[in-house]
Amino acid sequence: MTVEEIRGGVLGNEIDRFPIGMRVLAVDDDPTCLKLLDGLLRKCQYQVTTTNQAVTALKMLRENRNRFDLIISDVYMPDMDGFKLLELVGLEMDLPVIMLSGNSDPKLVMKGITHGACDYLVKPVRLEELRNIWQHVVRRKVESKSKSNNDQDKSDQGTENGDQNVKSNRKRGIEDEDVEENGHESDDPSAQKKPRVVWSIDLHRKFVAAVNQLGIEKAVPKRILDLMNVDGITRENVASHLQKYRLYLKRISHQANMVVAFGGSKDASSYMRMSSLEGLGDFRTLSCSGRLPNATYAPSGMLGRLNSATGVTLHSLTAPPMVQPNHTQNKLQPVVPAMLPNQQNLNLFQGIPPSFDLDCQQYGNKPNTQLASFGSVEESRIFSGTKLADFNSIDESRIFTGSNTFTDPSAVLGSQSALKLPSTASESINLLSTSPTFLDNHSTNFSSNQLPIGNYNYPATLNGGFGSNITTTATVPLEPNGGGLVGDIFRNVNQSLLNQNQNHSQKSGQYNKQDYTQYSQNAFSTLASSALAGGGGGGLGGPVSHSRSNGGGLPLIHTEKVSMRSSDDSLFDQTKLQGGFVATNGYGSLDDLMTGMMKREQESTIIMDGEFGYDDYGFGPNDDSS
Amino acid sequence: MHRLVANTRKSFFDQGYLDEQFVQLEELQDNSNPNFVEEVVTLFYRDSARLLYNLDQALEKRPLDFNKLDSLMHQFKGSCSSIGAKKVKIECTNFKAYCNARNAEGCKRTFHHAKREYTTLKKKLESYFQMLRQVGPTEMACRPR
Repeated sequence: MTVEEIRGGVLGNEIDRFPIGMRVLAVDDDPTCLKLLDGLLRKCQYQVTTTNQAVTALKMLRENRNRFDLIISDVYMPDMDGFKLLELVGLEMDLPVIMLSGNSDPKLVMKGITHGACDYLVKPVRLEELRNIWQHVVRRKVESKSKSNNDQDKSDQGTENGDQNVKSNRKRGIEDEDVEENGHESDDPSAQKKPRVVWSIDLHRKFVAAVNQLGIEKAVPKRILDLMNVDGITRENVASHLQKYRLYLKRISHQANMVVAFGGSKDASSYMRMSSLEGLGDFRTLSCSGRLPNATYAPSGMLGRLNSATGVTLHSLTAPPMVQPNHTQNKLQPVVPAMLPNQQNLNLFQGIPPSFDLDCQQYGNKPNTQLASFGSVEESRIFSGTKLADFNSIDESRIFTGSNTFTDPSAVLGSQSALKLPSTASESINLLSTSPTFLDNHSTNFSSNQLPIGNYNYPATLNGGFGSNITTTATVPLEPNGGGLVGDIFRNVNQSLLNQNQNHSQKSGQYNKQDYTQYSQNAFSTLASSALAGGGGGGLGGPVSHSRSNGGGLPLIHTEKVSMRSSDDSLFDQTKLQGGFVATNGYGSLDDLMTGMMKREQESTIIMDGEFGYDDYGFGPNDDSS
Repeated sequence: MHRLVANTRKSFFDQGYLDEQFVQLEELQDNSNPNFVEEVVTLFYRDSARLLYNLDQALEKRPLDFNKLDSLMHQFKGSCSSIGAKKVKIECTNFKAYCNARNAEGCKRTFHHAKREYTTLKKKLESYFQMLRQVGPTEMACRPR
């Protein structure tokens, strides 16, 4: 039975049958132990899947979050630290994870707890111990159900609680449920409330728009609901969604920072690496709060978890006041819509997200604080190529996965996640979110690598002034297929990022510029293809991450980072835009978009000073010159 | 023959070669999993061979990388505990202690012991399983006590 079924079903009935057939994923590099686990679990009548590679496990999980109810993972594994896997799973899938180790050191046990493990077993594992592990799954279910009842309270508490919740969420199983489960959509299959409200992209977009309008700090469920003006959802639905959104933002920004900083490989591993670098703890916190708005930029320069402008912006943006980007976002938002010139663009956009994600991963290398704002945290996840679940709201990240790592982008797009990108932190997310929508439209297009990336002249200046970012994309001669879109998106993303960056600091700008040039070429191509392929989850994000996924192969990665940076900003802005962006799949010509963006940039105080020298966003080829 | 098998098995426990974990393995063996124990043990041999080889190599290096040694041994120890290889596990624990103390001599010494115990156990188990096969599948099903 799926987790959802379990959760959604009558508790009593579900529980009665539940332990039988529970689907467990066991991860351990030791074949002896793995086989033993397999035997033991089968004896308990669970349905067992085993793998000796954490990377494979993550891939399986990302492919289908609902495929498993519980994960048991060894702590020491060669390809990935068990704690990292734990974190990622918690962040992206919110499934209960049990740690397993030959070491019973209390410090490790504590580490497991802080990383969100719901249990810690010591090898050799005994049958009796495994017989009881189903309780963790049920507990989540029960808690999520009760959480939904408390949504209102929680959401109203606002950021504070959100943060706290986020943190506790990470603890897995306790309050997490609250936060995690609040969101309907997102990545949290386990957190389903009984009367599930499906947060479609449209709905999410409205939500994001409402939140942006109110300001992430002031967004309270009632007002959001009023603004959204949609039937069929209650304040509680909105509250829980908001909570998730906040976490997501926070996580993204954190991730973004991490990604940037670590420039890890595009996979979760890299992502995780980043986390580790930055201090897993931090990351985790951020992750937890991922949804939270970027506003909480962690000072740690690089990580700027908060805003982690889509993590992609690897440029070590010293925790720039991400908050600003948020502002810009608003500005950007309008631009974004403009940016999407046409359907084709949309495709691009779609493509972008994947790349975006990829880049994010790449970015890891760069300690970019800048990225932060965009909810880079999420982005970074996305970038990792692997399906970063939470790009916007976990779903989004999925979208991006278009390119291999991304989960079916089209699918993602569909999900509202795109919309999730809240105005600020999630800017990046927004971008991505929008992508999804686009992707949906054009998913078909993208899959075939429509974007002839080559054309994208990724303006190196991505980071440079806001404009530059945009221009880069703009210049990209969006391929007929949608390459344009990607380009636009990319630009937009950049723009937003730029804006963001500006807020933060130019630093990335410089970086971006150079990066862009290189990347633009690569990025776009990569992005485009990936974006397209992926379904362009976050168009904006796409470009960046997409190319990156190569793990550094592509220069794009850098650019992506750069752009990401700005994108992050832009993303954040974008997110705002995204709302618009998403909505307007058929954006006018790129130029319009760019112009819009530029204007926004210009309006916003953040003038990216054009490190790249883009004040004039004229996205045309001349834009690059800065 | 059955008695011989039973006694052999008992001796493993009595002499401390195996512990309760091995019993767990046996309990997991049933009709749907008729050769479970032997399969796990075979996996253990294979994986251990690799780990022991790595440990050997690591111990040849100068200077010794204790962290690496510790981590390798940790893996080996985990495997041992999974099948209940008691004596080997004890040596592994000793090895880790020496590792933490950065005692190269101690490490090498205990490593030799661990390898010796491992080899001994392997031989014993191999002949034990052979015996089991000779006795016939029924023996497997009703575990001789």
